Amino acid sequence: MTILTSKNDQPAMIGIGEYRVGSFPMASIGLGSCIGLTLYNPEQKSGAMVHIMLPESQGRTDRPGKYADTAIPLLLKELETSGIRKNHLIAKIAGGATMFEAFSASMNIGQRNIDKVKSILSDQNIRLVAEDVGGKMGRSVYFTPGENGKVTVRLANGSCKEI
Amino acid sequence: MRLSEIQKDALQELGNIGSAHAATTLSQMLNSPIEMGIPRVVAVDIAKLSEYIGEDPSAMVAFELQGEIPHGGYVIFYLSRDSAIRITNTMLGMTDMDRPFNEMDESALREVGNIMVSAYLDATAELLGFVMLPSPPSLVIDMAHAAMQSLIAQMQEEIDEVFLFRTDLICEEHKIDSDIILMPENTSLQKMLDLLEQMMKPAA
Repeated sequence: MTILTSKNDQPAMIGIGEYRVGSFPMASIGLGSCIGLTLYNPEQKSGAMVHIMLPESQGRTDRPGKYADTAIPLLLKELETSGIRKNHLIAKIAGGATMFEAFSASMNIGQRNIDKVKSILSDQNIRLVAEDVGGKMGRSVYFTPGENGKVTVRLANGSCKEI
Repeated sequence: MRLSEIQKDALQELGNIGSAHAATTLSQMLNSPIEMGIPRVVAVDIAKLSEYIGEDPSAMVAFELQGEIPHGGYVIFYLSRDSAIRITNTMLGMTDMDRPFNEMDESALREVGNIMVSAYLDATAELLGFVMLPSPPSLVIDMAHAAMQSLIAQMQEEIDEVFLFRTDLICEEHKIDSDIILMPENTSLQKMLDLLEQMMKPAA
């Protein structure tokens, strides 16, 4: 089994639609309506993180990490490839805010992202153990597999909380 | 969408004219000179958005583009949180930097954004003969990346790359550093390119 480690203590940055698998620290900064999802196997102290932007891929396949319906199956496959077992995986999610109420009333992408991610996790029998979702605020999310899969959410005012 | 150098130059000129008008209105509102940076048009892969727009606390006054094309994209007046406080302090005759935003600040920021963005879009409409009207302003004081990401997620066309027309507007006297950003949908970008191309054709 190969577990990648990052070159230094800086977390690997995961941009919109990107994902990583491993035991090194990872982060997605400035999530608005997007969702940061982490999957973690506590026995192996490894996992994966993805930065999802939209609920449905509607048949698109070029950037599977961008959509909830393709990102979660993709992560499961990548975890399996890296030898990280599915049966003990726990999930945490953060994001899904509605920052521009005036523009997005009809679209409500943040909430649709939350609902879709939760429903797919449930279909896959993956336990969602923590969430910090919804509201109006942007979030940066830090995932530290080495510290028991710790997920820290930071807000624009600098306040942090562990979920 | 790939842009040729000529197309890029033409779009930068369009951004230049819009930004210059916006800068003039800002200068009048602050009663102080404004320095304008070189307008840039950059294609940004959304996965790399954080290299262009960070997570620092910012004020963003966003407008949806309406008019001939109903969902034409967005224009955003973007300032750091500190610059936003300085701009409202200057306008409202206050000096306290270390304070939360109140309703007066928010309303002043929306108004400044409104006047600047209207000037920007009036100028581009006059040049192109193509009207893009701003929606009422929507103000977010939060992480800039989170706000931009939310706008991109609700664009009409599914995209992996956005075009940002970005110009720095700086007021040395009041230490205000701001940006005006136009982020067109592909339909309005294509329309702008077509109109610019027509203008550049030699008269028959």
